[in-house]
Amino acid sequence: MTSPFTAGDLPAVTLDVDVLVGRYADRPGPTGDPRRVAEVLAANGIGRAAVANLRAALFDVPTGNDETAALAGPRVLPVGGVDLRDPLGAEREVDRLAERGFRAVRLFPDEQRVEADFPSVRHVARRAAAAGLVVLTGGDVRRFWRPLRGTTVVFLDTHFYHLGDFVVAARDEPGFHTSTRLLNSPDALETVAEHLGVDRLLYGSRTPWYEAVVPRLRLARGNLTPTDVAAVAGGNARRLLEPIA
Amino acid sequence: MIIDVHAHWGPWFFSMEVGALATNLAVMDRYGIDLAITSATEAVVYDVTAGNRAMARTLEHSDRLLGYLTVNPRRLDDAERDLRELLPTGRFVGVKIHTDYTDSPVRSPQTRAALELVAAHDLPALVHTWDATPLELAQACVDIPGLRAVAGHMGANGWRHAVEAANAVDRLWLEPCFSHTEAGRFAAVAAAVDPGRLLFGTDATLIDPAAAYGAVLAADLPPALAERVAWRNAAELFRLDVTG
Repeated sequence: MTSPFTAGDLPAVTLDVDVLVGRYADRPGPTGDPRRVAEVLAANGIGRAAVANLRAALFDVPTGNDETAALAGPRVLPVGGVDLRDPLGAEREVDRLAERGFRAVRLFPDEQRVEADFPSVRHVARRAAAAGLVVLTGGDVRRFWRPLRGTTVVFLDTHFYHLGDFVVAARDEPGFHTSTRLLNSPDALETVAEHLGVDRLLYGSRTPWYEAVVPRLRLARGNLTPTDVAAVAGGNARRLLEPIA
Repeated sequence: MIIDVHAHWGPWFFSMEVGALATNLAVMDRYGIDLAITSATEAVVYDVTAGNRAMARTLEHSDRLLGYLTVNPRRLDDAERDLRELLPTGRFVGVKIHTDYTDSPVRSPQTRAALELVAAHDLPALVHTWDATPLELAQACVDIPGLRAVAGHMGANGWRHAVEAANAVDRLWLEPCFSHTEAGRFAAVAAAVDPGRLLFGTDATLIDPAAAYGAVLAADLPPALAERVAWRNAAELFRLDVTG
């Protein structure tokens, strides 16, 4: 007897833009041990990941980012974190991250209970852009599009319910990109590809908190071409985060 | 064989083009889903009478769909008439109740009355559940003799409550569809409840089946249990004459 649920057609992921190590104090779930996260990524066919650290987001920014930097290697592209509750510290950290060679900074507005119109968000986004960092951000795209105008940004929480808002905002913002994690309606990926181009789509799993297989399945069983699938599964992320000098 | 016990036919109000029957069938084909038990979006979110009749007409065009007759707990007169007029088609095998669109929580008097009506017709009821509301549905099963209920979304974020609910009563089933696919959610539920209570539901064509299919896939169930989830439990609950 074999299982009716099979998936031998999943695409390899060459760069996942949404992976976390570290823990949340306010919820059950994994502890985010880097070795365990690496095992989950490997088991899900994810060859390389942009990894940020919840220690930086929730407790201590410099030591969290230093931990993340130490993970750098063939399978990990370190992503810095800042605390939007401390915009003065965040601007210092953005500069430090750029000096250390980080390519991206991740914002955690939901976890830090920071709203889109707080001055910190606009300030840190501008500072990151000036430092040449790509912004990866959580938060409701219908609100966070505004302070992130003019930046190169990947919205990590775009839900398909809000896809139309992302599309109309992104038409005027060539730097706006979205993770595929929550674009799990039957035509969301294809809608972005049609209205904005497939280069705006980046595979994101939020390993180890979400099932990494779901956005891979969506890519495998949708209507994008194999070339487009490869771009979403890592090519677009490499272009943004690891451009060839 | 895979049976989807939580499907919809018709358009949604988001930026998506999924309203055609052909879309239902194409999405089912993507995941090898043979049969989907389907409610009309029109009946769920707007006009229950018109939606149920539109669903009945659509069911005439595909033998891969079976119907949920949607009941709006605020319109039980409509429900009684729809049950009387549409059940004889033989294409409706259960009732759908959406507690949010009708602003009728499971514990509300009107939804309790709707569930009593459903139980009197000996039909399974797929009920939208969220957070702790599977516990309210379990209590309804205790209070209403013969009620057989499916906790739609198995409580979504409240899946731990769904486990407690399913273990509290022997006439409550769970299906996993949810656009937020928390790691390990279905595996944890499958390990904690009677294997006969697990169903496969997708919420298609609102949600792509990737979400539920991936959740089940990630649980890495033994083949015999996977088969129960895929179709055997649904066939038994809905009394369907199907074989794997």
